[in-house]
Amino acid sequence: MTAAANKESFMAQAPQVAAALPWLADADALQNDKAAGWMKALRSTGAEAFSQTGLPTLAWEGWQYTNLRALTPAKFRYSAEPVKFDAAKIPSPLLGAHRVVLVNGQYQPKLSSLPEHVTVMSLMEAADKNIAGIEEQLVTLGDLGKNPMTALNAAYLRDGFVLVVAKNRDVAEPIEVVFYNAGRDAAVYPRVMYRLGENAGCTVIERHCGEGAYFANIYASIVLESASRMRFYRFQEESEAGLHASNTVVQQQKGSSFEGFSLGMGAKLARQEFRLQLIDRAISSSIGGTYLMKGQQSHDFTVLADHFEPDGKSVQHFKGVVDDQARAVYQGKIHVRRAAQKTDGYQSHHALLLSPTAEASAKPELEIYADDVKCSHGATAGQLNPEAIFYLRSRGIPHDLARSLMVESFLGGAIEKVSYEPVRDIYFARVAAWLAGRGA
Amino acid sequence: MLKIKNLHVNAAGRPVLKGLSLEMKAGEVHAIMGPNGSGKSTLSYVLAGRDGYEVTDGTVEFMGQDLLSMEPEDRAALGLFLAFQYPVEIPGVSTTTFLKTALNAIRKKRGEKELEPAAFLKLQKQKIQQLGMDPEMMKRGVNVGFSGGEKKRNEVLQMAMLAPKLAIMDETDSGLDIDALKVVSEGVNALRGPETSFLVITHYQRLLDYIKPDIVHVLANGKIQKTGGPELALLLEEKGYADFYDATEAA
Ligand SMILES: Nc1ncnc2c1ncn2[C@@H]1O[C@H](COP(=O)(O)OP(=O)(O)OP(=O)(O)O)[C@@H](O)[C@H]1O
Ligand SMILES: [Mg+2]
Repeated sequence: MTAAANKESFMAQAPQVAAALPWLADADALQNDKAAGWMKALRSTGAEAFSQTGLPTLAWEGWQYTNLRALTPAKFRYSAEPVKFDAAKIPSPLLGAHRVVLVNGQYQPKLSSLPEHVTVMSLMEAADKNIAGIEEQLVTLGDLGKNPMTALNAAYLRDGFVLVVAKNRDVAEPIEVVFYNAGRDAAVYPRVMYRLGENAGCTVIERHCGEGAYFANIYASIVLESASRMRFYRFQEESEAGLHASNTVVQQQKGSSFEGFSLGMGAKLARQEFRLQLIDRAISSSIGGTYLMKGQQSHDFTVLADHFEPDGKSVQHFKGVVDDQARAVYQGKIHVRRAAQKTDGYQSHHALLLSPTAEASAKPELEIYADDVKCSHGATAGQLNPEAIFYLRSRGIPHDLARSLMVESFLGGAIEKVSYEPVRDIYFARVAAWLAGRGA
Repeated sequence: MLKIKNLHVNAAGRPVLKGLSLEMKAGEVHAIMGPNGSGKSTLSYVLAGRDGYEVTDGTVEFMGQDLLSMEPEDRAALGLFLAFQYPVEIPGVSTTTFLKTALNAIRKKRGEKELEPAAFLKLQKQKIQQLGMDPEMMKRGVNVGFSGGEKKRNEVLQMAMLAPKLAIMDETDSGLDIDALKVVSEGVNALRGPETSFLVITHYQRLLDYIKPDIVHVLANGKIQKTGGPELALLLEEKGYADFYDATEAA
């Protein structure tokens, strides 16, 4: 792809005003709330941007492989009213850790508990208190001009939370963030801000889940101040009828490190975008993921590692399996700006197709403007080796178990990169359960 | 324990085995020798249950059961083992995991209790030592990065761990150095007993010096052409296969 095509914003696309309007119909209700001026401004910028385009179509750069048909007609409705829900349905903690609970994007302080040195509050409260950096983080990093999902999310700016880890504090226990969606055709637009102060450290586990039909459009912005360290683990386990679109922007300052991993196994249609911005020197950034797709499911990982300054290292490591008529997409890009000498960039994607009607598409890209860099990528899609299956069976291992063993070992190559063992074990357990549920 | 009657097998639509009959009793060691492409591996794969072969006629009875109607894993549970001529690499599955899964799957099918991890490791350690293998190799993916000889040793290790009733060894000696041949043969001989039979496929008389066969067969042109005692192998070494079949018929 040329640099010119890359710069092209979605504003330049053909207008689809009529199709966009129903999506914005519920935004008017927010007009009279007590949001800060900058929030209101961001809402109208988002609404304006989205109304120009509506949802992306297959003709869009970056959207060729993910069909958003499941989102039309726009039946999903947003409501700012406090959501009614049955607390018993919220899944119990994975690790007995501290947690933050959101229902339909609305922060539930009564269900949340936090470790020392961590501050959490609803987005509205944080804006009210003008928490340091909030406006800059939520407005500037939003990058509305590039992504209609983010623009739509901004048009409904209200729900979500802010989590800040005080500088020099290393929070040992993981913090679990539950995004529970109560269904009933709700459109849910949480905007989430994580900020780690200088030399702070923490582990966040995001769980996206729910019941029934809904559209969850999540925007997460992460700022890692200098020398801070974050482990960010996501479980995308949305309900079977759920739709998931998440955009996660990680802005990393000098000497910071980020380790991200996401499991995509839920939702009818899901797209998880990650944008890693290595804006200073000596930054390490890794993002990995695994998807398990079956039936008519569709999943898309779209990742950009953007190197601004020298001595950065970024790794993308994705592996997934696709069965039945399901689809999977990986689009990964390493962007190395002119100043970013000595960049070390790596990306890989490997897909395993378990059925002849399953599909996997990959678009790995390198866009490099510096001359002294080391970047590489690899992508494969293949089937289980029948020779290996027979070898295992000839040793007495039943067919199902042989297949499971091979799938597990295949995905293990990605999951092993998760450095926090308790979560790594849970990822492996999810894979095992998925395989058991398939009868392999 | 094994009765093969008039076995006809097509591979890719072409007849490879054309009326092969062979009978083995418990505790016997049979050797099969024969020219390249005569159908030795085909026979071993058909017995193990590999896809891609069409049995057009004949029967195979193993331990009193109709072998050809069984799934490969059930044949293994019944006591059949094939040491592959070309062992398969399985990246990501460690040899230890593989062996443990196999052994426990077989025990489960037989209605036995799964082996405790400690008992399994002890057994594995003992067999590794016996075969002069490097324990570090057990952590690697099955056969991944193994040398030709190491792969063959790994086949014998699996055989020793699974303790089959009938072990078919398809050219296990090829690729082994002289010392390894001795170690592997000793490993095989240690498994010999009144209940354990071996069907040894080889091109070389040398292996039969270490693993003494009771009966030697010549397989050529899809059939057993001659059956005799150990002296038959010596005769073959000296004269080749020309006397035992009409080579023009093979084409
Ligand atoms: N899957 C297959 N597809 C096509 N042809 C096959 C297949 N399997 C075996 N054959 C053919 O059948 C014949 C016998 O092959 P086989 O491997 O059984 O011979 P072999 O006796 O084991 O030979 P070698 O001593 O070289 O190992 C060969 O001509 C081979 O090409
Ligand atoms: Mg052969």
